[in-house]
Amino acid sequence: NVATRISRSYSSFLLKKYHGGHVVIRLALGGATNRPFYRIVAAYNKWARDRKYIEQLGSYDPLPNIHNEKLVAFNYERIKYWIACGAHTTKPVAKLLGLAGFFPLHPMTITGAERRQKAALTEEVQMDRQEQVE
Amino acid sequence: MAASSFTRCLVKSYFCVKCVAHAQTTTRMFCVSASRSSFVDAPKAQFTDTEVQDILTKITGLDLKKVFRPIRRQLTPPKYKLMTDTELEEAVRKAEEQAKHLLKTPPVLPERKPINDVLYEDQMLEGMDTAKYVFTDINFNVPHRERFIVVREPSGTLRKATWNERDRLIQVYFPKEGRKITPPPIFKEENLRVVFEQDRHEDVLNQCIVQFEPDSAEFNNVLMLTYEDIEKHGKYDLLRSTRFFGGLTWHLVNGRRIDGLLVDMLQRDLMQDAVRLVRLFNLVHPQSESAQQAQTQQATDLDLLKIYAQYESNRAGFIELAVQTYEQTKALSSF
Repeated sequence: NVATRISRSYSSFLLKKYHGGHVVIRLALGGATNRPFYRIVAAYNKWARDRKYIEQLGSYDPLPNIHNEKLVAFNYERIKYWIACGAHTTKPVAKLLGLAGFFPLHPMTITGAERRQKAALTEEVQMDRQEQVE
Repeated sequence: MAASSFTRCLVKSYFCVKCVAHAQTTTRMFCVSASRSSFVDAPKAQFTDTEVQDILTKITGLDLKKVFRPIRRQLTPPKYKLMTDTELEEAVRKAEEQAKHLLKTPPVLPERKPINDVLYEDQMLEGMDTAKYVFTDINFNVPHRERFIVVREPSGTLRKATWNERDRLIQVYFPKEGRKITPPPIFKEENLRVVFEQDRHEDVLNQCIVQFEPDSAEFNNVLMLTYEDIEKHGKYDLLRSTRFFGGLTWHLVNGRRIDGLLVDMLQRDLMQDAVRLVRLFNLVHPQSESAQQAQTQQATDLDLLKIYAQYESNRAGFIELAVQTYEQTKALSSF
């Protein structure tokens, strides 16, 4: 384990040597009670999730709107820049980028879809059995 | 190994699609695209020809009192200036330039073709979610026509967003002043009828320009309804010194229904405007009787009106009478 020393003064990035830290592209939670809203953000991984970040790269609204759409915004140019600088992406961001077609599809998206399909099938079978019993 | 090759082919397909999308995107400059087609379709005149635009601006007129009439804005006390005659002329000239700028006609474009591009079909993702995901590219340097907006349906297909979705999402992320996300109910037919009865065609058209893109179906629909209503009731003077007069004349000329407008101009003694209108008609319909006769006789001014009245018009009697009275008054005044 590399002992990380995080200094409290955020004055200059150039003078600091960031041991073991790296830039991540992740979702920062905002919004209100029972109403989440995520900003897609490039930040150092040790910083608090909802506080300081280097750059905002987009947003994600997990609740569907009137037209049954979940709005996601990506600034592809800047995401390309940060990935070129060596940024990592977290799982939900990688899934969203996979759904957008920017990344290849995340394996867990496919697994999740398959699980849902199986659950829907078993539910159908159970409903049929109940109807037959009645 | 399989995963990486899968990755490579997906990434390649995305980039290929990106190149194709770039090649197929609609043009940014409206005027440039229209003028290119005019060289192909000669001799029929297009909206953006210099001659046509010249005629339309002259017909629109420049009534400074109407262009700069008081509109609803923040109340400020009026400013009074003491000017010499030269300064006054200078101020009037500046006002005329400003008025010309305000009177620029909105572009008349062919209707945009619907987008039906499917980028990727993924049956294995079926039922992954109940809602669609809409992905927008929020890069500031990209023009709105070339922005990537894709939709991932719950059935797994990744398709490009339709024009309505595009307009709505661009308004969400790059809001334009005055534009609403859902079009306001004034553009519904019943409400339009009420507004037309109150003679507020200009307000409706101003709102329409702000709300819709010039080549969208709703824009053309609202414009057509307004022009039809104006033509039905003969309320041409409502739009006379506004920037919509050019569009109105173009619509009527293309539909070959300039009789009402011509009669209105003659009633208001606008002979020059009437002559220009007939010239525009001949430019746009070079195969019509009046155009061919004018070509053979090399007619100018009032003769054009007479030829038009003879061959094409339904109200021939009125037009001939008006031309005769004008000639008589001119002859009398010259004595």
